[in-house]
Amino acid sequence: MVSCAGVQKQGLNGRFQGQSTFSDLTIQSQTEAIEMTFDAFEDEFASIPEKTVFDPLSGYNRRMTQFNDKLFDYVISPVSRGYHFIVPEGGRIGVRRFFKNLFYPLRFINNVLQVKYDKAAIETARFIINSTVGLLGFFDPAEEWLGLKAYPEDFGQTLGVYGVGPGFHIVLPFIGPSNLRDTIGLIPDTYSVPITYIPEMKISGTSDSDKTLIAVGVESYRRLNSASLSLEEYESLRRDALDLYTFLRDAYERNRAAQIKE
Amino acid sequence: MKKAAFVLIGIMLMVEPAFADDLAEVDSFLKERLNRIMGLLQDKNLEKSTRNDKIVVIITEAFDFDTMAKLTLGKKYWPGLSTAEKARFTELFVGRLKASYLEKLNLYDDETIVYSKPEQVNNKVQMMTELVSKDNKITMRYKLYKPSKAGWKVYDVELEGVSLITTYRSQFNEVLQTGTMKDLFAKLERPEGK
Repeated sequence: MVSCAGVQKQGLNGRFQGQSTFSDLTIQSQTEAIEMTFDAFEDEFASIPEKTVFDPLSGYNRRMTQFNDKLFDYVISPVSRGYHFIVPEGGRIGVRRFFKNLFYPLRFINNVLQVKYDKAAIETARFIINSTVGLLGFFDPAEEWLGLKAYPEDFGQTLGVYGVGPGFHIVLPFIGPSNLRDTIGLIPDTYSVPITYIPEMKISGTSDSDKTLIAVGVESYRRLNSASLSLEEYESLRRDALDLYTFLRDAYERNRAAQIKE
Repeated sequence: MKKAAFVLIGIMLMVEPAFADDLAEVDSFLKERLNRIMGLLQDKNLEKSTRNDKIVVIITEAFDFDTMAKLTLGKKYWPGLSTAEKARFTELFVGRLKASYLEKLNLYDDETIVYSKPEQVNNKVQMMTELVSKDNKITMRYKLYKPSKAGWKVYDVELEGVSLITTYRSQFNEVLQTGTMKDLFAKLERPEGK
C-alpha cells in the first residue's frame, strides 16, 4: 500500500529513471517519508475531522458546561476538600464501596438485559459476599480475596448495545455531559437504585416530605463522596482542553461508545 | 503459476513468525519501560522534579512525539505548514503532551499495572494495560508501530477508550476550521490550567 502510493506519485510526475538530480531525489524522499507516516495511519485517524457529534443544543450546552465548571470550582471542590480533610481516604473509599454495593440491582439488571449472564452471576456473588463478609459493602473481599470484579452497566449502555444511537448531545446540570439516549436511560437507572425508595420506607416519626429530603441528602452525599476521590482527575482533564465544552463532549461520547462496544 | 504459489507460501512462512516476534518485542519493550516508570513513581525518596525528569527521559525514548504531532494535525493541515510553523507546533504540542501524561501518571501513583497480551492490528501492535488501585481501575491502551529497524515507538495512548491523538485532533481541527495557525499557537501557548 505504502510503497504503491510512492510509485504512483513518481509515475505521475512523469520522470524518467536516471533523470532526476541528487537534490530532486532527497526532496522526493523527504515528502515520501511524510506521506508514508500519514498513509500508515490514514485508516485510523482519517475520519476524525468529518465525524462530528450531532449537537443542535450547542449554545445551551456551552452555557451549562460553564455552569457545571463554576459549580465545581465554587461548590463541589471546596466542599469536598473540606470533607476530604475530615474523612481519611480509606473511609471515603469504604463509603464509595458501600454505595457501589447498594447499586448492585442496576448492574445486575443491565447485565441480564445485555445477555451477559456470567457477569450477572458474578455480580450476584459479589453482592452476597460483600454485604455479609464485607460488612454491608464497606469492604470488597469479593475482589480482594476471590478476584471477582464488578461489571458496571447502565440502561444507556443497554440501549446502545441494542443499536440505539446516542442522539443529540446534552449537558445536564450537576451531572455533566450526556446525550439523549443516556438521559432517557437515567429514568430506569433511578428506579433500579435503592435510594429512590427511601420515601416509600416506613420510618417512624418522619413525614413524607422529610423522607424525600433524606433521599436527596443521601444521594448528594454519595456524589460528594465520590467527587472527593476524583477532584484531581477533573482538574487534570480540564487542563488538556483547548475548548472545555467540545473537549468534554467528545471525550464523553467516545468513552461511552467504547463502553458499549465492550 | 507454480512460482507464484511458492512465493506466496514463502511469504506466509515468513510473515507468521515475524508476527510472533513483533508481539514479544512490544511486550518486553513496554513492560520494561512502564515498570521503570512505576518504580520511579513509587520511590518516595525522590524529589518530584527529579522524578519527573527521569520519567520524561523514558517516555521520550518510548514515544514518537514527532509523528504524534503530525497526526494531531493530520493530512489536512500538516503538509500546508511552513518549516518554522512545523517546528513551533511540534515544540508546543510535545510540551503539552509531556505535561499532561506526567500529570496523569502522578495521579495514579499508588496503583499497580496489569498487562494484557499485545495484539497485532494491521502492521501495528496494541497493548492493553490496567492501572489497578484499591477500588478503581483505569484502562490504558498503548498503540505502537515500528518506524525503523531500531525498534518500536508509541504513537497513541487510549485512556478509558478515548484516544489521545483523536482528542487533540478534533480540538485542533475545531480551532483551525474558523481560525488560523496563529490562533492555535496562541491557545497552545496559554499557560497550563486556564
